[in-house]
This record gives sequence, structure tokens and C-alpha cells, in this order.
Amino acid sequence: MTHPDPERTVRHLYVHVPFCPSICPYCDFHVLTRRAGQVEAYLRRLREEAHELAGRYDVDLDTVYLGGGTPSFLRDDEIADLVDAVRGTLGWGRAENTLEVNPGTVSPERAAHWRGLGFDRASVGVQSLDDDTLRFLGRRHDARGAAAAVTTLLERDFRVSGDLITAVPGQPLERDIDGLVSLGVEHVSAYTLTIEPGTEFARRGVTVAEEDEQRGFDVTARLLAERGFERYEVSNYARPGARSRHNLAYWTNRAYLGLGPGASGHYPVPGALTERRTNPHLHEWLTGDAGEAEPSAPEDYVTDALFMGLRLTDGVDLADLSRRAGLDVRARYGEVIEAERRAGRLTLDGDRLRTTDAGRWVLNDVVRSFLNA
Amino acid sequence: MHTRNFSIIAHVDHGKSTLADRILERLGAMGERDKRDQTLDTLELERERGITIKSTPVRLTYTRPNGETYTLNLIDTPGHVDFNYEVSRSLAACEGVLLLVDASQGVEAQTIVNAYLAIDNNLEIVPVVNKIDLPAADPEGAARELEEVIGIPADQAIFASGKTGVGVDDILEAIVERIPEPPGDPDAPLKALIFDSFYDAYQGVILFVRVLEGTVRAKDAITLFSNGKSFDVDKVGTFSPGLVVGQELRAGAVGWIAASIKDIHDAQVGDTITAKDQPTTEPFPGFKPAQPVVFSGLYPTSTEDYRRLREALEKLKLNDAAFVFEPETSEALGFGFRCGFLGLLHAEIIQERLEREYDLDLIATAPAVVYRLTLTNGTVFETQNPAEFPTRDRIELMEEPYIKLSVMLPEEYVGPVMQLLVERRGSMITMNYVGKRVELLYEVPFAEILYDFHDRLKSISRGYASMDYEQIGYREGDLVKVDILVQAEVVDALAVIVHRDKAYSLGRKIVDKMAEVIPRQMFPVPIQATIGGKIIARATVKAYRKDVLAKCYGGDISRKKKLLDKQKKGKARMKNIGTVEVPQEAFLAVLSTEEG
Ligand SMILES: Nc1nc2c(ncn2[C@@H]2O[C@H](COP(=O)(O)OP(=O)(O)OP(=O)(O)O)[C@@H](O)[C@H]2O)c(=O)[nH]1
Ligand code: SF4
Ligand SMILES: [Mg+2]
Repeated sequence: MTHPDPERTVRHLYVHVPFCPSICPYCDFHVLTRRAGQVEAYLRRLREEAHELAGRYDVDLDTVYLGGGTPSFLRDDEIADLVDAVRGTLGWGRAENTLEVNPGTVSPERAAHWRGLGFDRASVGVQSLDDDTLRFLGRRHDARGAAAAVTTLLERDFRVSGDLITAVPGQPLERDIDGLVSLGVEHVSAYTLTIEPGTEFARRGVTVAEEDEQRGFDVTARLLAERGFERYEVSNYARPGARSRHNLAYWTNRAYLGLGPGASGHYPVPGALTERRTNPHLHEWLTGDAGEAEPSAPEDYVTDALFMGLRLTDGVDLADLSRRAGLDVRARYGEVIEAERRAGRLTLDGDRLRTTDAGRWVLNDVVRSFLNA
Repeated sequence: MHTRNFSIIAHVDHGKSTLADRILERLGAMGERDKRDQTLDTLELERERGITIKSTPVRLTYTRPNGETYTLNLIDTPGHVDFNYEVSRSLAACEGVLLLVDASQGVEAQTIVNAYLAIDNNLEIVPVVNKIDLPAADPEGAARELEEVIGIPADQAIFASGKTGVGVDDILEAIVERIPEPPGDPDAPLKALIFDSFYDAYQGVILFVRVLEGTVRAKDAITLFSNGKSFDVDKVGTFSPGLVVGQELRAGAVGWIAASIKDIHDAQVGDTITAKDQPTTEPFPGFKPAQPVVFSGLYPTSTEDYRRLREALEKLKLNDAAFVFEPETSEALGFGFRCGFLGLLHAEIIQERLEREYDLDLIATAPAVVYRLTLTNGTVFETQNPAEFPTRDRIELMEEPYIKLSVMLPEEYVGPVMQLLVERRGSMITMNYVGKRVELLYEVPFAEILYDFHDRLKSISRGYASMDYEQIGYREGDLVKVDILVQAEVVDALAVIVHRDKAYSLGRKIVDKMAEVIPRQMFPVPIQATIGGKIIARATVKAYRKDVLAKCYGGDISRKKKLLDKQKKGKARMKNIGTVEVPQEAFLAVLSTEEG
């Protein structure tokens, strides 16, 4: 158990498209509105970076995820160019290829185009099916547009996941959930509105009421469960068989490549554990700057894995994690695990460490206990 | 060689320790290296808080302008009312005092109290008007007040400044001229008074003594009068203020004795030391034991520390004869000690000294005064522990302790301060004018001034009022016990006894404060105050606020994890009550002031 057993082959790829039609007031991602010439430069550098990654790692992809930003905001030829760059260097996902889609960008023709390029799953930023809520969130689409986008994608044979933002003041939560489910999505990501520092909402002093937050978290889970969706992660729900394979790779701490500005990857390192690398923002990235790698010591690897894995309803298999990290997790973190169990925040069932409902509600604090240990 | 033994006494902050610095400096007793302010405040806590807690003796040599040489034993004493017992013990080792008055403040409440302590002990008083360098100083006025209030002729006062050193020469001459040579025959059988002590890990108990008769040297056999036990003296010496080993201590000397006394109980402050082979039949009267007036429970946060706490209390008691303790058990807190103190500051200081000097983590329960109850079956008993308070139907008569409170303040604040005293159920005895100031004398229930009275008084009078008090016995009072429930369970350690008129507001204050200081828990926790089972106030500790990242995907892992890593968890003093973590502040909720 003293030798870590890292992965050699990378099976997942994330591609970051940093452009959006406008910046939402709650957004703290690395995104920009597009400017003349920038997308061309971006695509050129992306092709180079894909080459470099292909030369450096043993890649055999199961999943590809094109996120942002708003990838669907790229023009048809641009997105075709992007897919071509990836396919020609790193290949394409065998099992799942997701495109993040903004409702305002969908048409039957474009949907067909995307499907033709090899995308089979769409993650649609519905956010709400209530016009007032959408306006409050600064979204450009309305409820009808969002519904139409989902329907169109389903008709073009996409597996569809709908994003919801909950805990918005005045939001008719139950109606939103019913509406989204009845459109026929197989997967829902429901995030409580969080006011991140530096966002427009933060500047405006918008706050989220504690009761709204509680409802957004618990009521959403209950309503979706009643409608046949399993909560398999803190904010993610799926019908049986419809879990996101790509995102599961993150939550189970697998290696994945990150392509594009601001993208981060979790890379295998020969003879050692993994390292994480986050690309710099667009301007530096365009110059070829690849950011700094942070090698993970066994403890980092374990706390990463717990940080992500405890988000999952299935929790973390400690025996498997100990083997991968080359560190006896139960010996090293026994006291924390015991204390958290006594506090009713974690359960240990054989080798499986899971959060309770209470623990999930304060997961950051649970994770802090491990980081402090 | 001649000797003069004297203490410096005054109201709190009138500059005793600072003036001592100047005297030490003048007599070359301050090494360049350890030059710092208030040299005689040797405890870390004294330095941090800028107040004197313990009396500290120091031996000095003074050569007069005419060439005569004197040994001076100076004892710097605390000014705060809680540490008055330190002053009275120090005075037992002296023939005189320097009575300081701040020239900008004039005579204050403790100036009077300390002056009378000296008078009662038949000590010679050398009045010193201090801080005359201050722009607001009125030295003549202060001297006049001394004459008016205490009867010390104004023309005897020496004007001085502990800041500039003005007047120090005059003070030294006055000490020699006005304070008498200590009496006693160095060849008589030994008789010495223990006026203080502390425990040293290597040498055992170090006794601070004033030799009254005879001489003591290393290898002498001594006997303690109170228990008849004998010890061989290892070392004797004087204070620098550290311990300096010497040859002998002769009648009139102030110094220390180490005699390998390992059992703390053998060394009682106030006891008389005699020679084993020539025991005296008459002990020195000693001092009347300090009467603790405020009680609270002290519990170790982790139960394993109980024994260490007991040892620490015993050792500390040696160095602070004024507090008492006995074991007590609480359902909520486990094994601990009920401790008696001379006041709130004293309680606070003891807790802090225990924590620092003995490395303990403690929870203190709310301070309480001693009530006297007459039961229906005729028995009378005193209790300071709310947990022992009997049910109403068994009580015939309830009495609470009263104090005579003296407040000195400028005229313009008399109105608001009298208003405050009415709120505190006080009744006026008299009111005296002292120049432009007023002395208010009131009878007040002690419980009413225990918590936030001093702070209120200071804020109402913009810091100009000073106070002092003494216990004057018991008066009938309609008392009730307020129970505090956490998660619907009564927590014995949180109960308080209070006058019925104050029960509702106090109950409200306690539950609100507790709900504020108890950290959020997994589930909402109700906090209730009840009297005889009837709920009078309620507040809720909220459940945890959501603390989980909504979104956590590939792009963000490192950044978000780093954010968590930065938020290290602080370690707080907590005690688990049921499933609820209750911090120290919650136990002291009753102390929080009305305003905050
Ligand atoms: N201007 C001026 N300030 C002084 C003088 N003497 C003392 N002080 C200041 O007054 C404050 C109290 O001085 P201390 O010497 O600690 O007073 P104390 O009487 O020993 O106080 P306790 O022992 O706590 O009662 C300190 O801030 C000193 O710097 C003085 O002669 N002139
Ligand atoms: S569309 Fe998404 S990435 Fe773009 S600004 Fe809005 S929230 Fe941010
Ligand atoms: Mg002092």
C-alpha cells in the first residue's frame, strides 16, 4: 500500500470556450464577450494545445465535454473547426460527448449540425421557466424559448440535461421543476443561487434568504425524487442510467485533460501521483503559457478525492482510494472520520464513506475537518 | 543598620507601581537591562492589563545625604477593590505607608479605604500627591481633600511625580524621618509572620515573612504555630524583587524562607513561625481571613484534567490566600470546583492564572453571591450555588447580602448616578460634599452591583466616579431561581438566583446572549428560561447555514479547495451539553451588559 497506483491513460477531456453573449450578474466563471479576431486566435491556439497534450499523454477518450462560457454561441463553422481540432489530435469520446447550450442559440438546423459533429448530450442552461425569475437572473431567453430549445434538442436525439438555479427570491420552484421534468429531460443540475464575490449581484448587495436556500436544496431534492430522479450528487439528479459520465470522472477524482483558457486538468504523472494544472486566462493562454502544475502528494490526492467524492450519494470507497493514493486513509484520517460519524455528518458502511443529509448541507465544513487533520 | 518597612497604597491607577520605579531607579536597584515600566508588576497578567494584582516586596538600600545608611523594604500593593486583602496582608509587615493621591483625580473611594486600613494598623502615613506633572493636576486641592476627608494635615503632603521623578528625594527623607524603626530584639526567640507565599517546584513553599523577634538563618529548625510541624530552614533571603539568598533575617526584616515544605497545606498565610527549640506561646494575631463574596464553578473542559486542576488550585491558593474552593459536581459539566472570590476581577484573574500558569482549559459558571435561606423546618443555611436552591414551598425566609456602597463623583453626575442606584434597588444612607465632589453612601443588594454596575457607573460619569464597598449583612429579598433549558433539558450549571423584579429581564438577556454565542448546530436548538417550570423567555440557536459549494466541476477544483483550506477551524473553549456545543461565553451570559 505504500506505492500509489495512479492511472496511466486519460479518458476524459474538458474543453473551455470562454465566450458568452453577455455576462450574467451571478457569474464568476472566466468568460468574456466576444471581440473581433479573438475567436480565430482562440481556435488556432486550441489546435496547438490539443497537439501538445496528445504528444504528452496516453489518451483514449470515453467522454468529451465542451463547456464555458457558452460553446453553443460559437458559429457553426467555428464549432466544426474546434471539433476537428480535437478529433484529429486527441480523438473523440466513445461514451458521452456533451455540449453546453444556451437556449437562445438553439434552432432545429443548428441542433442537427451539432449532432452531426458528434455531440450526443446537451446540457441546457434553462435556469428557470418563470419569466420574472429569468429576468432577475439577467438571462436573455424567456420561458418559452427555453422550453422550445429543450424540445428541439430532444427531437434531434440528444440526451438532455437541464440546469436550474434555485433559491432565487420569488421563484415558483415547484412549477419550475414540474415544467422542466415534463419537457422530458433525463438529468437535472439544480444549483442554489450563490452570491460570489466580485459578481454584479455581490456589488448590488443581493442576498439569498436562508429559507430560500433551504428550499432550493431540500425541496428540490424531494420534488425531483417524487418524479423519478435520483440525487446522485449534491446538485445533480438523474433518471436511472442517465448520470453524467463525464462529471462523474471529476467527482471520482479521475485524470482528465483540460483544454482552453482557464480550463484545468488533472493529469497523470509517470511514476508518481497526479498533478493539477489550471490554464491561465485568455490573454496569457494565447501566448502559450500553460500555467503552473501543482503536484499532489498522497494527502492532497486523498483530500481532493474526498472533497469531490463526498459530494456523491454513493460516497467514496476508502479501500480503493487508499490503493490509488498509496496511503492508508483509515489510519491517517481515522479520528476525523470517527468524530464526523459521531456528529452525524458521515457514515461508514464497510469501506464506503458517505455523507448524511446533515453532512451534505455543511459539506465544506466536513471537508475542512479533513484539511485541518 | 537601620530599617524602614513601608507599603505604597492608593486608589487604583494613582501611580503606585510607577512611583516605585522611580524610587528603585534613584536607589540604583534597577538594572539597565531590566528597565521597564512598573518593574514590580512581575506577573505576565499584570503587565498585560496594566494593573497590580499581587503585592510585591523589594529590598533597597538608601544612603542619606548625611551618610547614614538605611535598608528600605518597599511593598507595592494593588489598588483595585478586589485585591484589598493583598494590601492588608502587606501592611502587617510594615510600620508605615506612602499614601498616594493622583493630583488630577483627588481622593477616591479606595484612597479612603486604604488610608483607614493603615490607620487601623497603627501605621505612620506619609501622604504623597502624585502625578503633579499632569496638566490637569491640582496638588493643593488634592492635599486639601486629604485633610478634609481623612484628617491628614495638608502641609504634610509631598508633591511628586512618578513620571518625572520630582519629589522622590523628599519622599525618601520622609520615610526615614517619619516612619519608625521596626521594633524587636534580634536576640529574642524567633517570631515571624507569614504574609505571603508561593510554590516553587524545586524548593517547595517559599514563605514571605516579616521577622518580629529574633533571627532566622539557614539550618535553623522552625515550627509553624498553627499545626506544630517543624522544618529545617534551607535558605533565607531578601527580595530584589526576585529571591536573593542572604545570611540571616533579623528582627524587623522582611524576607523569605525556604524550608522544603512540600505539603502545601502546612504553610498558612497569617501563621506565625517560631524556633523549634524556643517556641513562642503567643502567636502574632495574623489577619482575619478574607471572606469570599462571589462564587462560581470552575470545570476543566476535558474531564481528565480534574486532578491537575485540583493541584493547580492548591498551589495557586498559596499565592493568593483570598480564594477558597471545594469540589462540586454538575450534571452538565461533570467534576469541578466551587470557588469563592473577593470580586469579579479576582475571579477572572484566578481563572486566567490557572489557565496560563498551569496550562488548563476551564469553563467558569456565572458568578453568584451568597444567599441565606430559612427553611420551613427552621433550619438556616447559606448557599451561593443555584443548583442547591430549594423549592419555594420549603422556604420560610429568603435573604440576600447587602453592601454599603460608597461612590465618589463630581457633582454634575449625581443625578444620573442616583437614578442608576434606584434601578439597582439601592437606598441612600448619606451624601457628603468633599470640595466640588460628592460622596454618596448607599445600601445596595450586592447582587445588583456584581455584574455590570461598575461599567455603567463609569460610562454614566464619563469615568469620573469611583466606588468602594463593604459587606454589611443580610436583608430580606424576594428571590427566585431562573433555570435555563437547552434543548428542553435543564442545565444545572446555568441556573441563576435573582430578585423577582429582575427575573424576566435577566432571563431574556441570558437566552438572547446564549442564542448569540452558541455556534449554530445541526438542528435548531431552543434555549429557554423558566421559573418554577414556567417559561419566561425563549430564543433559538439556528441550524447551520448551508455550507456546501453548489457547483464543483473540473475547472474549479483547485481554486475552491484552496478556499476551504484557508478557512482553518479555530479551537474554542466548549463543553458538550447533550449534543450541543456550548462555549464559555454562554455560561457567562448573565455578565453581558444591557447594551451589548
Ligand atoms: N503623567 C503621569 N502619569 C503617571 C504617573 N504615575 C503613573 N502614571 C500613569 O498612570 C497609570 C497607572 O500607573 P500605575 O503605576 O500602574 O498605577 P498603580 O497605582 O500601580 O495601579 P494599580 O496597581 O493597578 O492600582 C499608568 O498609565 C502610568 O503611566 C505620573 O506621575 N505622571
Ligand atoms: S452564460 Fe454561463 S458562463 Fe456565460 S456569463 Fe452566464 S453564467 Fe457565466
Ligand atoms: Mg500598581
